[in-house]
Amino acid sequence: MKMKNMVRSIFLTVFLALAMCFQAWGADVIKIGVIGPMKFMQGKGHWNGALMAADQINGKGGIQVGNKKMKIELVKADSNEFLNITDATNAMQRIITRDKVDFIVGGFRSEAVLAMQDIAMDYKKIFIDCGAADPELCKKVAEDYDRYKYFFRGSPFNSHYLGKTCFIQAATVGAILKKALGIPKVKVAIVTEKAMWAEPITKAAQGVFPKLGMEVAGVWRPSQTATDVTAILSAIQSSHAQMIFTAFSASVGITFARQAGELKIPAVQVGINVEAQKDGFWQATQGKGNYVMQLDTYCQGVEYNDLTAPFVDGYVKRFGEKPTYTAATYDAILYSLAPTIEQAGTLDADKLVSILEKRVYKVSPGTDKYIVDAKGRQTHDLTWGPGYQTGIGVQWQDGKNMGVWPYHWVAAKGAPEVTYKGIVPYKIPPWVLEAYKK
Amino acid sequence: MGSLGFYLRKLYSIFRGEILVLPSRVAVVLFFLFVLLFPVISTDPYLLRIMVLTNIFAILAASWDLLSGFTGQLNFGHALFFGVGAYTAAILNLHFQIPPWGSIPLGALGAVFTGLIIGIPCLRLRGVYLALTTLAFPIILLGIVYALPDLTGGELGISGFARLSHSHIANYYITGLLMLGLCTLMWKITDSNTGIIFHAIREDELAVRTAGINTTRYKLLAFCLSGFFAGISGGLYAHFMRIAGPSTLEVSMSFTVVIWGVFGGLATIYGAVAAVFILFPLLEFLQFWSEYRTLMFAAIILLILLYMPEGLIPWVRDKIEKECPRCKLRNAAIRKTCRACTASLD
Amino acid sequence: MAVNILISGLISGSMYALLAIGFSLIFGVARIVNIAHTAFYMLAAYCIFFITEKMGLNPVIAMVAAVIVVTLLGLIVYLLFIKPIREHEAAVLIGTIALAIAMQEVMLLAFGGSFRSVPSLIGGYFVLLGVKVFYQQLLTFIVVLLTLAAIWILLMKTKLGLAIRSTADDREVANLMGMNESRVTMLAMGISVGLAALTGAVVVPLAIVSPFMWTNPLIVMMAVVVLGGLGSIKGSFVGAYIMGFAEALVVFLIPKGAFLKGPVALSIMILVLLIRPEGLFGVAFEEER
Repeated sequence: MKMKNMVRSIFLTVFLALAMCFQAWGADVIKIGVIGPMKFMQGKGHWNGALMAADQINGKGGIQVGNKKMKIELVKADSNEFLNITDATNAMQRIITRDKVDFIVGGFRSEAVLAMQDIAMDYKKIFIDCGAADPELCKKVAEDYDRYKYFFRGSPFNSHYLGKTCFIQAATVGAILKKALGIPKVKVAIVTEKAMWAEPITKAAQGVFPKLGMEVAGVWRPSQTATDVTAILSAIQSSHAQMIFTAFSASVGITFARQAGELKIPAVQVGINVEAQKDGFWQATQGKGNYVMQLDTYCQGVEYNDLTAPFVDGYVKRFGEKPTYTAATYDAILYSLAPTIEQAGTLDADKLVSILEKRVYKVSPGTDKYIVDAKGRQTHDLTWGPGYQTGIGVQWQDGKNMGVWPYHWVAAKGAPEVTYKGIVPYKIPPWVLEAYKK
Repeated sequence: MGSLGFYLRKLYSIFRGEILVLPSRVAVVLFFLFVLLFPVISTDPYLLRIMVLTNIFAILAASWDLLSGFTGQLNFGHALFFGVGAYTAAILNLHFQIPPWGSIPLGALGAVFTGLIIGIPCLRLRGVYLALTTLAFPIILLGIVYALPDLTGGELGISGFARLSHSHIANYYITGLLMLGLCTLMWKITDSNTGIIFHAIREDELAVRTAGINTTRYKLLAFCLSGFFAGISGGLYAHFMRIAGPSTLEVSMSFTVVIWGVFGGLATIYGAVAAVFILFPLLEFLQFWSEYRTLMFAAIILLILLYMPEGLIPWVRDKIEKECPRCKLRNAAIRKTCRACTASLD
Repeated sequence: MAVNILISGLISGSMYALLAIGFSLIFGVARIVNIAHTAFYMLAAYCIFFITEKMGLNPVIAMVAAVIVVTLLGLIVYLLFIKPIREHEAAVLIGTIALAIAMQEVMLLAFGGSFRSVPSLIGGYFVLLGVKVFYQQLLTFIVVLLTLAAIWILLMKTKLGLAIRSTADDREVANLMGMNESRVTMLAMGISVGLAALTGAVVVPLAIVSPFMWTNPLIVMMAVVVLGGLGSIKGSFVGAYIMGFAEALVVFLIPKGAFLKGPVALSIMILVLLIRPEGLFGVAFEEER
């Protein structure tokens, strides 16, 4: 009897030891955590982009790390960050300590990314943000480099540059309007949702437009989930503004575009409208969102460089819809992490950080170079400008998303004209032209 | 040496006489042991994180039960206290450099003050009117938070302040000991004269008034006490997550607290605590089914309500204990006769 | 400006009135606080979306079908989940919360989290006193008035209405008088859910369809009902328009603070309750023994 027990326990111990070794045997993979609001478009973009990158790399046999090839294993984590910050931090904690990921890409809602960033930094894991634009995230890198150096911005460029790009686009459209409508000065109505991220843009807009030679007709701040903006639209109509500068990230973007289109308000919309970046926008506005222009990263037919089309076309073919900027997980894995790992020959985070922050490399929306701020500190934030990342201006033209900016754009005095491949001219809505014919 | 043995034996006889007789008391002791010894079982930071949050939310749920279960003033805006506690602790820590062991109690005091502010309008309201009014308050505060983004950080909240402590285990013990201590304190309050008056206010406020008791004072006291404990839990949450944002004031947070309280059984304190310990890890455990997670959560609640409308813990308690028909003492269900008056229990 | 406020207030007031009356009705009759009321409104919205977009049928057919389907669903849900626990008010409260969450999740699973929309019944707009008004908004307003008239006739002039009113007044005595209390409750529930579905049908072309669209109207609706006095149809009607105008005033007079319309409306509700704890037209509760 005692003998049987002893044999049994020895057998069990050996078995357990072997099982643990199995764990170790699986260690020839690089685990990358993809964290995002998986039930929503943004999270799906995170996952799809990562999937494309992982399949591409694994198809070639994996990443060369030193003298062996390692494949990529993706770990999906639903942060549920739209609804619950606690869930997001729990998810981040889980993939680091339970799933033992080596790198993390993703994130979207700034409040959640701030919390998730802290956890990733606790464990010294490289975290590439592919969705939150808050400058605060990269300010932390500058102010506490040793702790936050593992954090990099993957997409989009920060909200300061988002604003700058919008103003340039607005100025371009303003010039087109001035000529086409024959008016001495363009009047702009500033309509931005009441949200933290829109505060700096709203403030800046009120200062920038006068400098651009345009008059500010008024500032309106609807709630993010407003379902009726006819009151604001009436006021805009009475103010005789020809341009509406928008900053919307939530459902109000759809409501506004639809109602403005239905009421045929004689003003064009330009600015930020995240909902308008999605393919579903046309149906959501019942087709009334025609001629809405917004800042975007990708558009079918527009190419920044030779990496753009393979990505965009491949994404559309595989997933049936165009990618939004959260699909930058593709670039994060394929162009940021993989070559850095191959160059370093190791997965050691400190070494990778010191190599990555100095690299200047091509990605599908342009070129990545990390900003060193005025005090000489690394911020791991993305450089903006022609030759680096600029984003594009996209306009809805009869049911299709068409790139309309940069179109013969001169960034600075004496600089060369920039027009990306596939950009077409901007179209003014016919009812606006009608209203100003008299 | 002899006296040590004496005390040990006394302890043992008390243990056998008071605790082992009732399954519910055994459960409480086991629960205490579980909370105190959990890190011995596992030091996985992920599990510790879940347990820390469970501890924090247990304090919150218990504070809700103290107010709504006992005095019958259904508070549908409990997130208000939670949020005020969190934001106050965050602001005090960030701008005035007060360390966590100071900012959290001060945050709780802020929540007490808030309790007074909302308690006063609610004095004349009853039932559903009270519930819906309390629902309004966190929403109004949310509007104020968004209107003053420089002070409150708008929808990003406040971040970058001190953490609770530097190790997961220390975090766990701080929240665990606080949870056990505060919940015991709350339970003691309900077991005292004040608690009896709270019960009475819920049952028949008019009768209590005719007995000469100033119900206004007691109702306000309930709001303040509840606010204090909820504020502590808010402050703990802020320092643990290192972010105090508008998510602490959301309607869903208020609803979740109500669900915990009612699910566990109103007017019990331990019911609310048990509900959190069951539901919160369950919700997290269901992560692997992330699409169906919330649906399953709602389904579980509905099913439990169908079969145990009084709440889970009272139902369980009724199954494992019986009340003696003669002396009204509670006995273990397996007994045939009462342990005090030997009457038949069937 | 004043015209804008008037029109905007009328439109939102009408929507809140429709929702609030249904909610108030079931509370008055059966003391059930149906937090899932606006969730039924959401279900109706998705029904219409599904029928018009995926099945390509006429919007009017979609509306009728949606009202019928959602009302039936509401009755089934009531029989299965709410009726058994009716005696425990607290349980009913969180039961309906759980139901609302369940419905939200089912919609999320079926249709995803993106925003959808539904075509207008009558597209286009006209100009009234210098303000552009959608035909759909006018339709909403007319439908609300018609519905209110219908409900008033039902409650005041029919036997069923009498039964409902007496059950609302005193359930036990109504039972004693020979009215089948549980049947009356079921019918009231059906009418209540039907009203929510009708609101969805009429308002949805103006709104955005998403699985979370039920939370915002819920809060305002409850504020309206409390303001007007629970159980009072007239109170809900008046309260709805007060709230509608309050919101319109905020949006117009404080353009930079348009997001504050919710909190301001709620503050008004609290102020009124301070003065009159049972709402404007509510009946002061006798302490129920």
